Amino acid sequence: MKVIECSELTKSYNRKKVLNQLSFSIEENTITGLVGRNGAGKTTLLKIIAGYIKNTSGEVRVFSERSFNSLNVSGNSIFVDDQMSFPPALQLGELLGEAKRFYPNYDANLAKRLFDYFGFDEKAYHNRLSKGKTSTFNMIIGLASRCPLTIFDEPTTGMDEAVRKDFYRALLKDYIAHPRTIIISSHHVDEVEDILEDVLLINKGSKLLHLPIAEVKEWACGIKGNSETVLKLINNKEVLYQKEVGMNTLYAVVRKDSSGSGSIEEQAQLAGLEVTAVRSSDLFVHLTTEAKSKGGIDDVFNNY
Amino acid sequence: MANYYILHYNSNALHRRGARAILNNNSSKPIYVQIAHWIESEILNNHFQADQKVYSQYQLAEMYTINPATAAKGLNLLVDEKILYKKRGLGMFVTEDAKQIILNKRRNQTLKQLVDELVQEANRLHISKQELITMIQDANEEEVQT
Repeated sequence: MKVIECSELTKSYNRKKVLNQLSFSIEENTITGLVGRNGAGKTTLLKIIAGYIKNTSGEVRVFSERSFNSLNVSGNSIFVDDQMSFPPALQLGELLGEAKRFYPNYDANLAKRLFDYFGFDEKAYHNRLSKGKTSTFNMIIGLASRCPLTIFDEPTTGMDEAVRKDFYRALLKDYIAHPRTIIISSHHVDEVEDILEDVLLINKGSKLLHLPIAEVKEWACGIKGNSETVLKLINNKEVLYQKEVGMNTLYAVVRKDSSGSGSIEEQAQLAGLEVTAVRSSDLFVHLTTEAKSKGGIDDVFNNY
Repeated sequence: MANYYILHYNSNALHRRGARAILNNNSSKPIYVQIAHWIESEILNNHFQADQKVYSQYQLAEMYTINPATAAKGLNLLVDEKILYKKRGLGMFVTEDAKQIILNKRRNQTLKQLVDELVQEANRLHISKQELITMIQDANEEEVQT
């Protein structure tokens, strides 16, 4: 069953298109990573799915309903980010207790155990917490509520490395025990990719990739070696990135294509070039870098 | 280049530290292939006998902190290669011929690829055929002694 279906979803703020003709669907009980550069439209997309804001055109269906103003969607989903608002008069301990009234699947026991594990004080107040502690507390509510649709928007903002690791593992363990549909947006692809099933990469409001994480590693490869040889090989191939590394040596990231004679890797190896895997996070950066600046930040400093 | 693949094939790609296992995220192989490779090694090491049940996708997911779908993909890879078989509702089990299949596969593919790369690297370093053979013999003797 598809939990989320978007077709030609568009959102404009003052005539500027933040989301542009986005079409995709997300299956029930999967963990999807939403990846994209700053300002790509991730938060806007998640907020539309959660029903917080209304799309300009196109269609969004969550649990087969339009998500905006839908009680059913609100009741079955939770949107976790670092700006969740809680009643300022209540102490953290009281907040944990009150959450039960909003989310029928809420596991108070799990919430309390996580709360204690991460060293929270029941008498503390939410608006006085540090950045990392705020994210951690919100994440606890997000996990313990066990909503059929759980959305984490940059859940690890401010968390230290140990807490981030604990969070990913807690999320995975609870997901195994209680499968549900989870979307996580994150800039830390390396950290989060292992627990994902699918990845949705958006850039400037458009969809670039939506595929199982397992296929991302086989989507492109890096080739390094003698500049001339590399250039000859990547001619008429889809080049995502290229950079001079040392004397007369070129590193290029190329999309693999199954068509033609022999894979690009085999050809490269035959030509005595070095073939490497491309990390998912690097691939996403290459894919979302402007076409005219294939050298990345270095182009800013070259010839000026 | 040679280094790159050796890093993966000497099964360090997937080693266990304490109770938690570590996957090599930089390997050129996707995680599910590494999972399949690790189970193969467990079978070769006699940690799993024929007709014995192997880890479920959820156990693997839990052990390696990976998505259960990724773990399932690794297991299915082994089913396709007739190293594991499915019993509906019971899980995955090691086939009778599993060990032989793995041995054949590693001999024909992994070892051959390593040898190809070894020869390539030797050529690049202008090492003669005889020198290379001597080096292999020496390494073999050292291995036997230890």
